[in-house]
Formats: sequence, structure tokens, C-alpha cells
Amino acid sequence: MNKRKLEGNIFKAISYIAAAITLLALIGILGRITLEALPSLSLYFLITPESEVPGLGGGIANAIAGTLLLSLLSTVLATPLAVGTAVYLKRYAGNGTLVRTFGFLLDVLAGTPSIVLGIFGLLFLVYYMKFITGGFSLIAGTIALTILILPVIERAAEGAIDTVPLELEEASYALGASKWDTVRRITLPFALTGILTGMVLGIGRAAEESAVVILTAGYTQFLPEFKALPREGFLFGMKIYPFQDLAAALPITVYRSFEFPHLIPASNGFAAAFVLIVIVMLINAATRLLLWRSRIG
Amino acid sequence: MNPDELRSKLPHLLLLTCVLATAAITIFFIAFIFHTALPIFESQGIGFLTGTKWSYSEQVYGIRIFIIGTLVMTGVTLALAVPVSVFTAIFLSEFAPSRVAKVMRPMVELLVGIPSVVYGIFGLFVLENIFQDRIDPFLSGTLGFIPFFHDPSPNSGTGVLLASTILAVMILPTIIALSEDAMRAVPFEYREASFALGATHWETIRKVVLPTASGGILAATILGMMRAMGETMAIVMLLGNCQHVPSSVLDTGYAMTSKILNDIGYYCAIDEPRSALFGIAAVLFAMEILFVAAARKIGGRS
Repeated sequence: MNKRKLEGNIFKAISYIAAAITLLALIGILGRITLEALPSLSLYFLITPESEVPGLGGGIANAIAGTLLLSLLSTVLATPLAVGTAVYLKRYAGNGTLVRTFGFLLDVLAGTPSIVLGIFGLLFLVYYMKFITGGFSLIAGTIALTILILPVIERAAEGAIDTVPLELEEASYALGASKWDTVRRITLPFALTGILTGMVLGIGRAAEESAVVILTAGYTQFLPEFKALPREGFLFGMKIYPFQDLAAALPITVYRSFEFPHLIPASNGFAAAFVLIVIVMLINAATRLLLWRSRIG
Repeated sequence: MNPDELRSKLPHLLLLTCVLATAAITIFFIAFIFHTALPIFESQGIGFLTGTKWSYSEQVYGIRIFIIGTLVMTGVTLALAVPVSVFTAIFLSEFAPSRVAKVMRPMVELLVGIPSVVYGIFGLFVLENIFQDRIDPFLSGTLGFIPFFHDPSPNSGTGVLLASTILAVMILPTIIALSEDAMRAVPFEYREASFALGATHWETIRKVVLPTASGGILAATILGMMRAMGETMAIVMLLGNCQHVPSSVLDTGYAMTSKILNDIGYYCAIDEPRSALFGIAAVLFAMEILFVAAARKIGGRS
């Protein structure tokens, strides 16, 4: 009897220790990043693009703008496709072999190593499609990231549609509503919370991505510009800024502190990392607040 | 077609277009990777997988070193991550008071929110010194008589162990969250039946909860493993990028993903090297597809 109790206690202790290790890793990493970032963090660092600072590093406004553009645009592109796919799979299609194969394809896409998607973007979007995308550009990065987050949002939307009570839809049909009316007025509004959560996941995933972005969007020290200039060899004979122009991103700023260790202070990289984590957390918190208020109101 | 009929058909068509577009993008992407890689499989044959020599000037491309590098690194990562994450999941689902679990769950999710490149510089600028000065000498000093723990490069902290430690932290939340879900999905009646037979809490966990949840835990491990294998940025910074098979966990190595990232910029415009690099990607991709199939079969995704 005692031996059994002892064994139980030992493993209970191991579980507590494992949980403590997990928490310590989290606190250690976040704490250390904040600590290392502090010397570089200042308002000037946040609102100045790297192009206006002598040498390398010194400002991340270009990267903040680029990250926001990349992640928001790709989420805007991916959401209709993802939600449409989820609605069709859950409400229109049956459960045949074709649908299951399609589910498998989406799982494969979700599990794709980012470097594989990155070199696809580099060769197809940046090299072969150069007359449309303009080579390394915001639009090439956006399309590649759209493919990356498509399965993320689709899975979240499928999960959200699963939570819609069937009774509600049946009631709608009983009132004589058509399939589309039911989807539009019952299913989608009910699933909205889950779909929004999926979009936030998508934004976060796109904002974090580095391998794909560095191979498709490149990097620029300048803030995005909004203009169009005539340019040979481009679609419509002009280069449209910022879409066909290089784009910066915070993860790439972080990566550059590794690439040029003697030119960019490591603290700059940590500060960019800190800002990136804070942005993702803020978007997360804002959505939760929004959803919470809408549920109460 | 009258307007009413059109109005009911149109949404259906639009949604179908979404599905077809998604399918087309996915299939095109997969086909593009394998199609670009095809010439190198034709010219190198099976030697592409088994060869140990990679030379652009001699046009010999063998990726065994990179495959082994990736596998060793993934293996060490799992050895570090699985015990910690499964026991953390046990803590969350079985031992922790619900208030503690409620606070801890979102905190664990925070770990997912840290970008991989940040893990990379954290490992390089913070952990590398600690590994070089403390952990590497300690391990090779106490366990160095086993070749597995021998330290061939005492002046550097980069290597398999450093990369795997960082990767392990990266995949912790994935394995924790999914295995905890699997454990909580075990019906409470099973536990009560076990308690009624006089089993202790731990005996119930080991003989009832874990076996019932084992499919979910295994699927979670596979997902974590896929994340580790596909990781690029952190590995480029931490594994050392030396073109040889790591001789111990403290030795450097070269992973498939790092080889692609380091070289693709230089060789993207030249047919054969490009095809060779896409070949690495195709092999990696094929491995991932196999693991996805395995995870689906085990996890029983409904």
C-alpha cells in the first residue's frame, strides 16, 4: 500500500516539476527578451524608419508598417476563400472520398514547412511572375502568406461552424428559408466569433513568419510609399507602390541582427522581437475585448 | 433560368468556386515543388538520398548528411520535449486545481505566439554562452566517456543540443495543448470506475487515462515533430551549419531546411542546383505528407 502511494507521489511531483519547467521557460524567455530589448526601446526607435538612421539598425517603423501591411492584406485575401471553403465543406458537400481527400490536402498544406512555401514563392512568385508581382515585393509576400494562413483560418471556420446548434438551422428551414438564407442569417452570424478568432490566428501566424517573407518580400529600409511610376517590363507598364515594391517585416529585422552581428546591435533585434510579440498580443487582446463586448451588448 | 432559381444557385456556385480555388492553389503548389525537383531525381537517382557529397562544381548532389542532421536534431528535440510536455499536460488535466489550470493554459499558449526567429536570436545571444561555458563542459566532463556526449568543439555552444533545446521549447505548447485535450476527453466515468476498484490517482492516470488518450498524445507528438523538422530560421542560427554528420549531441550539424535557406539565394537562377535544392524540399515535403497521413490515421480526426 505504501509503495503504491509513494509511486503516486513521485509521479505527482514529476508532473509539478514539468509544469514548473514549462512556466520557467516562458517567463525566462519573455523576461530575457524584454530585458535585452530595453536599451533600444524608445519612441524614436519605433517611429523612425531604418533609412533615416545612419548605418544599419536604429529604427523599425519600416518593419512595423511592412508587418502590418503583410499580415492584414494576407488575412483579407485568405478569409473569403477559407470561410467559403469551410461553409461548402460543412453545409453543401457530403462526406465522400473526394471531400476526405480534400481534407487531407488541407492538412498537408497546414503542415507544410515554411521553407518549402518560401522557395515556391521565390521561384514562382518572385522569378516567374515578376512582370505581375515586381519581383521581391509586398504582393508576392502577401500571396505566399495567404497560402500559409489559408488552412489556419479554414480549420478555425470549420470548428466555428461545428458549434452552430442544428436546432437553430432546422427552425430556419421549418420557416421556409432557403439553404443560402439559413447559412447567411443563422450559420455565419452564429459562427462569427470563431471565424474572427481564426482571422486573428491568421494575422498572428503571418506576422510571425520569417522564412517565407524573406524569400518573397525581401527587405527595405524605407517606409511604404503610395504612388505609381511608369516602368518598363511591368504589367500595365507601371510600377505600383507599395504593392510591387519591396516590403520590410519585423521578423526580418530580427533576422538581420543575426546576419550582421557587428553592424546591428543585438539589442535592436530583441527590441524588434519585443515589439512583434506585443503587436500580436495586442491584436489578440483587442479581438477578445471586442467579442466580449458584443456578447454582452 | 428564372431569377429565383438563379438566386438560389448563385451562392452555391460562389462557394464551390472558393473550394475549387483552394484545391487548385494547394495542388498547384505541391505539383510545382515536385515538378521542379524532378530533374535532380532523374540525374542523381537514388544517390540523391544516399550520397554524402554535395558539390555544385562537381555536380554531385547527395543529401544523406542533411537528412541525418534533421533526424538527429528532431530525435533529441522529442527526447527533451515529450516527457516535459506530457507531464505538464497530466498536471493540467489531472492534478491542477481548475483555477490554476485556467491561468496556466493561456500562458502556455503565449509560447506559440513567440516567432521562431525570436527563439533563434534568444538561443544565439543568450543560451549559446550558457551552453558553451556551463552545459557543454559539464556534460562532456561527466558523461564524456560515452561518445554520444563527447564535445568536439569546446569553444562553441552551437550544435545539436542547443538547437534541440530551443526547438523543444517551441513545440512544448503544441504537444501540451493537444495531449491535454486528449486526456480531458477521457470520460469521467472511466476514472470513477478505476477509483471504485481501489486504484490510486496515479494508477488511474497510468492505466486508464494515458492508454485511452494515447492516440491523441501520439498525434500531438507527430504534429510537434513536424514543426521541429520544418523549422528553418532558428536552426540556421543554432545548429552550426557544418557539412558533416553530428558525432555527438554537442557536435554541429546541418539540417535540410538550413541548406535550402542558405543556398537558394545564390542558385535560384541556375537549373541544376535549383532543382537539387527543390529536391531537398521535395524529400522534406514527402516526409511531412507521410506524417500528416499517420497523424490523421492515429488521431482519428472526425
